[in-house]
Amino acid sequence: MSSRTVIAYATHVLRHSAPLQVGVVIGFWLAGEGIVRLFGLPLPGGIVGLVIVLALLASRRIKTRSMRRGAQWLLADMLLFFVPAVLAVLDHQELLGLTGLKILAVILVSTVSVMIATAFTVDRCYRWRADHAGSAPH
Amino acid sequence: MPDPLLIDSALRILLWSAVTVGFYWGAKQIYRRWPRWWLSPLLVTPVLIAAVVLALHASYRDYIGGTHWLVLLLGPATVAFAIPIYEQRGLIRRHWPVLLIGMLVGSGTSVLTSWALATLAGLDGPLRLSLLPRSISTPFAMEVSGDIGGIPDLTAVFVVITGIAGAAMGDIILARVPIGSALARGALFGVGAHGAGTARAAQIGETEGAVAGLVMVLVGLLNVLAAPLVAQLLR
Repeated sequence: MSSRTVIAYATHVLRHSAPLQVGVVIGFWLAGEGIVRLFGLPLPGGIVGLVIVLALLASRRIKTRSMRRGAQWLLADMLLFFVPAVLAVLDHQELLGLTGLKILAVILVSTVSVMIATAFTVDRCYRWRADHAGSAPH
Repeated sequence: MPDPLLIDSALRILLWSAVTVGFYWGAKQIYRRWPRWWLSPLLVTPVLIAAVVLALHASYRDYIGGTHWLVLLLGPATVAFAIPIYEQRGLIRRHWPVLLIGMLVGSGTSVLTSWALATLAGLDGPLRLSLLPRSISTPFAMEVSGDIGGIPDLTAVFVVITGIAGAAMGDIILARVPIGSALARGALFGVGAHGAGTARAAQIGETEGAVAGLVMVLVGLLNVLAAPLVAQLLR
């Protein structure tokens, strides 16, 4: 087998294996973490990894096909990764009383405000741009 | 003879990981049958695990020692967003100014209302600071929380509560207030309720999901970059 067929075969395997693709995604995350540590950046390593992958995709050095299945697998079960963090509440018994209720109220009201403000702003701007693009003389 | 301490920690990882993944899987099956907000896996799973932890007289330290690797996977999950973002690059190129304004307004509203409401409720100190970054996804939020003097652990809890509540309330808002564009519906979930909201938006529509995912990452980035500035203002 020539080296070209080996690479073609490896690419083929990668495009059909979700676990391998998860491995590739983890590899980019580790690279991001490494860069963050090396340069002492105030960013999560995952973001640096995300930017690296976007740059490689945009410059056509990698194809979405070699990561799509793995990415979908990670994103579909992302909620699982949040679960252990929630248990931190066990260490903060002070949250179980009145303070907890106050915090819950703050979170609920604030979240509704954020959602309405964001949706209205985007909707208005979107329509404004659509109207002006339509009525402007060509 | 292998080190007994090593066996102990291996057992701990096996036990708590199995409990976590098992309950999550079960909760997901139930939610698939009965999709009610109070049956959300993000709400049900931690409650069940907490019951087991308390029943076994274990501590949060025991538990997180066995499951920290799952939290670490949030890093690769963030990287994975590169794929849907890249696939929606046409949408982003067309609408980036609108999305940017939406993210700025949303983030500003989040920080201001959290601060004002917490003050009204008589909360202060690190607790109030820990509430500020709760609209953005966990890895960002914990980073920002540490930067501005909050408690990252607590922020993680607030982020999750925001996600569960936001995914549910987003539906209620959309049912009452007509929002015409898919762009605005996606932004509502992405800015308001990060990962959990994005998962919900993806169920509503493909465009909504992509916009929510993109906006969630960008708003997190925006907050991390703005955090030193906010920290300066708070001092």
